[in-house]
Formats: sequence, C-alpha cells, structure tokens
Amino acid sequence: MTRTRRPPLGRSLLRLFTVQGSWNYERLQGIGVGVAEEPLLRDLRAAGNGAVYRAAVARGAHFFNAHPYLCGLAVGAAARAEHEGATPDQIERLRSALCGPLGSLGDRLVWAGWLPVTSGLALIGVALGLGMDAVLGFLVVYNVGHVALRWWALRAGWTHGVRVAVALHQPFLQRAAAWSGPAMALVIGAALPLSAAYLAGPFPAWARGVLLGAAAVGGAILLWWRGRLTGLRYGLALLAVAALAGWIWR
Amino acid sequence: MTLELQLFLLVWGTLVGLDLVSVPQMMIARPIVAGPVAGAILGDLATGLQLGVLFELFQYDVMPMGASRYPEYGPATVAAVSTAHAAAGTLGLGLGALVGLVTGMLGGLSMYVVRRATQRAVQAVAGRLEAGDVRLLVRLHVTAIARDALRAAVVTAAGLALAHVVRLYFGGALPLRGVTLLGVAAVAGAIATATAGTLRVVGRGANLRWFAAGLAGGAVLVWLR
Repeated sequence: MTRTRRPPLGRSLLRLFTVQGSWNYERLQGIGVGVAEEPLLRDLRAAGNGAVYRAAVARGAHFFNAHPYLCGLAVGAAARAEHEGATPDQIERLRSALCGPLGSLGDRLVWAGWLPVTSGLALIGVALGLGMDAVLGFLVVYNVGHVALRWWALRAGWTHGVRVAVALHQPFLQRAAAWSGPAMALVIGAALPLSAAYLAGPFPAWARGVLLGAAAVGGAILLWWRGRLTGLRYGLALLAVAALAGWIWR
Repeated sequence: MTLELQLFLLVWGTLVGLDLVSVPQMMIARPIVAGPVAGAILGDLATGLQLGVLFELFQYDVMPMGASRYPEYGPATVAAVSTAHAAAGTLGLGLGALVGLVTGMLGGLSMYVVRRATQRAVQAVAGRLEAGDVRLLVRLHVTAIARDALRAAVVTAAGLALAHVVRLYFGGALPLRGVTLLGVAAVAGAIATATAGTLRVVGRGANLRWFAAGLAGGAVLVWLR
C-alpha cells in the first residue's frame, strides 16, 4: 500500500475540465479520464514502483463513459484503489460498475435538471427585460453548481476509494435528483409562453395566430414522430414552407 | 461588417464550439450565452439576445448523452446573429434561423468526423497506451482538443460565410409578407421543438402537472405585461 501525504486533487480537477477533449468511439471518455487520474498516481512512481505506476496509468485510460461532471468520482476512487493495492481486476470492475450510475445520476441532476432550470430562468429573465444581466446570472449560478459538483465528486472518490458507492447515497444527491424533474418542468413551462411573447413581439396579429397554430401542430408532430423527426429538421422544413408561401403570396 | 469584427466572431465561435464537449463545459456554448456575446461584439445586443433565445429553445431538443449525435447550436447562433445583424427586425430572425439551423447541422456532422479521427489516432497507438506511456497519453489528449478547436473554427467560418452569402442575396429580395412568414416559421419551429423536447423528458407522471403549472404561470405573466 502506498499513501500520499497530500494528493494533487487540484491538478486532477483542472484536467477533469478537459475530460471529454479526446472523446472517441473506441474508449469514449477513457483517454481524458486517464489524463485526469495521472497526477493522483505519481506517488506510485515516486515510491519506486515505475511498473505499477505505468500499469495504473494504462488502466486509467481504458474505456469509460459517465456524466462528465461526475467522472471525478471514478478518477478519485480508482486512484485511491491503486494506492491501496487493489488488484487490477477489482479496479476494472470498479470502473465498469460506476459508468451506469454516474451517467444516469448526472443526466438527471445536470442535463435534465440544473442546466434547463438555470437556462430557463435566463430565458425568463431576458423575456422580462433583464437583458445581459440574466445571461451573466445564468453563467455564474450554473457554474457555481457545476464546479462544486466536479470538486465534490473528485474528493468523494478519493475519500471512499473502492467503497465509493457510499458517496452516491448521500441525502443531498437523492434530494437534488428528486427535485430536479419538477423544477425543470415548472421553469421551462413558464419560460415557453414568455419566450414566445418576447420573440413574437414585432409580429402583426395575424402572424401571431399562424405562429400559435404552427407551434401547436409542430409540437404534436415532434412528439408523435419522436426519434424520426428532430426539431432541427422540423424547423428547416417550416422555414422552407414559409419561404415558398411568402414567394407565392406577394 | 469589417474583417476585424468577423475575426472576433470567428474566435468567439471557436471558443463556443470548444466549450460544448471539450473544454471546459461552462456553457458558453449555450445559445443564450453565445448569441448575446456575438451581438455585443457587433454592437447589437438586442439581436444577439433575440437569436440567443430562439436557439436556446431549439437546444431543448438535445440531451448530449454519450455517443448520441446532435446538432451544435453554439457556433450556429454566432453565425445566425451575424446574419440577422445586417437585416434588422423580423427579417433578421427568419434569415438568422435559416443560417443557424444549417450551421447547427454542419456542426453536428463535424463532431462525428472529429470523433472518428480521434478514434483512429487512439487505435494507432493502442500498444503504447497499454504500456502506460504517459507522454503519449497526454499528447493524444491535447492533440484531440486541438483537433476539436480546429473543427469549431471551421464550422464557425462556414457559418459566417453562409451568413455573408444570405445577407448578400436574400437580404432585400423577400417581400414583407415573406419576411414575416419566415420569422413566424422560425419562432414556431423553436417553440414546437422546446415543447416537444421538454415533454419527452417530463413524461406523463407528476412532472407533467408541474409543467402545466409553469405554462399557466408564464401565460399569466404574459397577459399581465
């Protein structure tokens, strides 16, 4: 077992901000995770275990996929396990076992929670006339949560090592996950009519009627043909129809 | 628009494109940020905010999970603002949406190409990676980030070029009704996309009631204003 006096968590955290920089279809986030884990493994080399260090670095760069903000949990846990002399097989199992839970938790907490809630509030702010203040507010508030989550994940991983599952059962995570869905639904629900009114402000009355109808029909079509028709394609098709109608109706 | 301003937009679009996946994911890639900053660069914050809101609504269609392929709306919003800046009002909204959606599609495609290129680079040195070559690991990672930066720059440049062409050839060619219809289509497409995207995540459970409550609250606020 090799103990570090003061693990370079700060250096690892900085590298975690680039964790998806080398995302690819072979190892997904693996290379980025390996790069982020490497500073935490340097003690192994310092202790004269060059071969152990290189083997640990190689393992760190194997296939991995999870939510990018929570990768730190796996990075910290795997590095701690390497220091505590866990077998290669145990470490590979630990990494594999973390992919699913960290992915689904992060998606619920961030992609379907914190991000739409804060960006929805920014939309509401802009629609209510707050302008750039709403945008800056979004950036600051979102990133306070973002950086805090990354830091917590890395520290929790390093603290718990192979018993990292304990960290995933923290009450605050459970509460946040439970609240993220309703909060997102409420905020985006409120942002939709406000954004529509903000964007449709300069249109004449007849055009607002057309807008309402096209949006309602479009929403229904997109829900009905989910997976087959994307918002981008629907938007482009609608623009093509509008250009044609405008050209005919001179 | 001066070459200097175009270069500023190119740099901003590149940073925005890099932020989406690679570094540091602080959400400057969100249209609600990318648009207003592009507008501020052009001295036209109002257009930036308008296009930022429009593409933020389109963004709600996207859940950026794992290997899923999705459009890239950050550099697209920068190109859209560049288009709309020269054609103020409702004309700007429609033409900006057109340029932005095409650029967004191109951005999504380019991410796939870059990920494949990184995959080939990883496969080529798999043996040395297995031997724990740290320098190679870091070089591979940094090169991949540089590749993504180049991708973002190319997508932004393509979007700005498309914006230039659209401004030149379509700016004054559309009649007033056509201009209005284009704007209506852009906003309707964005609202429909955001509604459907949100409902897919919300589902039919208890969260649907929260969504309905939000919708009612937003509608009341609109009515009060």
